[in-house]
Amino acid sequence: MGAIAAHVGRKRRLFLPFLVPAMALYVAFLVLPTLATVVLSFTKWAGAGDTPKPNGVGNYQQLLNSEAFQFSFVNTLIYVFAGGVGTFVLAFLFTMVLRDMRGGKVVRAILFFPNIVAPVALGMFLGFVFKYQPHKQGLANFILTELGGTAQKFLAPDNVTWVVTASLIWASSGFFITILMAAVDNIPPYLYEDSDLAGASPWQKFTNITLPLTWDVIGVAGVLWTINALKIFELVFVLAGPGTYSPPNRAWTLGIFVFDRTFGSNGTPDFGAACACAVAMIVLVSVLVVALRRLMRRDALQY
Amino acid sequence: MAYKPKPAPGSRRFSPLKFIGTVVVWLVTAFNLLVLYWLIAAAFKTPIEIFTKPFALPYTWFQRGVPFRNFEYAWNQAGFGEAVVSTVLLVGLATVVTVAISAPAAYALTRFGVRGAGGLTNVIAVGMGVPFQTVVIPLFVVLSKVHLDNIYGLFIVYVALSIPFTVFLLTGFFRSLPDELEEAAAIDGASATRTFFSVMLPLARGGLITALILNAIGLWNETLLAIVFLKDQAEFTLSRALFTFYGAASYQSEYGGLIAGVALVVLPMLLLYVVLARQIITGLTLGSGK
Repeated sequence: MGAIAAHVGRKRRLFLPFLVPAMALYVAFLVLPTLATVVLSFTKWAGAGDTPKPNGVGNYQQLLNSEAFQFSFVNTLIYVFAGGVGTFVLAFLFTMVLRDMRGGKVVRAILFFPNIVAPVALGMFLGFVFKYQPHKQGLANFILTELGGTAQKFLAPDNVTWVVTASLIWASSGFFITILMAAVDNIPPYLYEDSDLAGASPWQKFTNITLPLTWDVIGVAGVLWTINALKIFELVFVLAGPGTYSPPNRAWTLGIFVFDRTFGSNGTPDFGAACACAVAMIVLVSVLVVALRRLMRRDALQY
Repeated sequence: MAYKPKPAPGSRRFSPLKFIGTVVVWLVTAFNLLVLYWLIAAAFKTPIEIFTKPFALPYTWFQRGVPFRNFEYAWNQAGFGEAVVSTVLLVGLATVVTVAISAPAAYALTRFGVRGAGGLTNVIAVGMGVPFQTVVIPLFVVLSKVHLDNIYGLFIVYVALSIPFTVFLLTGFFRSLPDELEEAAAIDGASATRTFFSVMLPLARGGLITALILNAIGLWNETLLAIVFLKDQAEFTLSRALFTFYGAASYQSEYGGLIAGVALVVLPMLLLYVVLARQIITGLTLGSGK
């Protein structure tokens, strides 16, 4: 056993050399910039050529009174909550069906595909699908008018949030189906056999077996969803706007707000306000993730 | 292969929920295949064909003997030729370097038995939740001061921001490996470094490949940071080039060329996916199950 003890000692000496490169990059490119953003959010700063001046909570007051920020905030919450509920309902429905379906793995692979398409490309592609222009209607309006309906302005600022929500549900469900299916496959099959013998309906099987036994995975998937939905940017930017310029305020998300105030081509940059919005994003993601974990933990104890 | 329980005789009742579910699954699957067909077909069509005969096979460009006209247009107008080279190099190098830095860290965090390693792993995992928007402003300001607001700066940023996810994914894989082989290597007198390179890395190969693939897909599709850091068109990545091309091509009603451009970004990923779907999906479920 001496060899192992010596080995463990030698291994410990490698701990730092193995860890330091990753930690150094992590601290330099994630921790420090996040702190810098927090500090800069309390300054007035137009960006390059200007110097940051202390501004107290001025940027935050400005945000609260800004219509663009209010739209961004509400839209982001719509994507997180409406998109999240829709995605998980669809993913669960699909998981239950695919489990007993011949060719379920192939169908799953087809449903997963939108997840590996660049959001920019997906946005442009959906832009064609939902295009509204007399005599040059996109796929959705083409089908709608063929069926005798009237063409809709899907991408008008008032509608686009819901079109993006639906697109998001469609595009993301494959990812969550994959994760949920793996969790469902780990459930011992005899539980389902027993409940079949007892004459349980699919809904009863879902609420009494599937849901409680996949609870932890749903929690992790929910966190992943929240993180990703909160920073949604490219899809909305391309789908709601002309492409290179920011879309109308009505359609903004928090991610677009930060981009527009710093690198966007509309008006003068305002790095201070952008940093305050970025801080709002990270506070929101923290609050939502912590709340979600609380919620999931309490319910898990009931089983 | 998952074992499917056979239902007991007579227990399979008609269930409205299941019926609706099956119908929806087939509708969505058919829809996905339809839009994929539409995308590929439209990439070979003229704008008139795209909008008036969305489901027909393309014919005008074929009749005129220039079937790849849209692709040529996109390739030349959007500078995709250079972009392909930049993207492949940038994504390939960034992915390999990310995994090369993350794998030793994940190994040290899981298998060295050092106190506080679990806490450190969580600290790194939290980094996955930080939106790019939160760090992009200071990064841009500092990197442009040292003249790294270009593809080299983007490379470093890509590597650094990919680390939390990669370390988190790989700790799951290293944790699942058996202790015995590592001990056997130690008894045979292998150094810790040697054990890592010749015993543990080959064992974690599945995890390393998954990390490579998932990072490659993510970075191939990344656009926000590429928009911020790349100003010189000669350095544009594919998704960045497509972003610029979109405005110009829509303005000129070059819808065929535009869809061809979208197809040029999507099709390499589609090919990769057709070849590696199984690896991607199993790797993903292993990583998330931890």
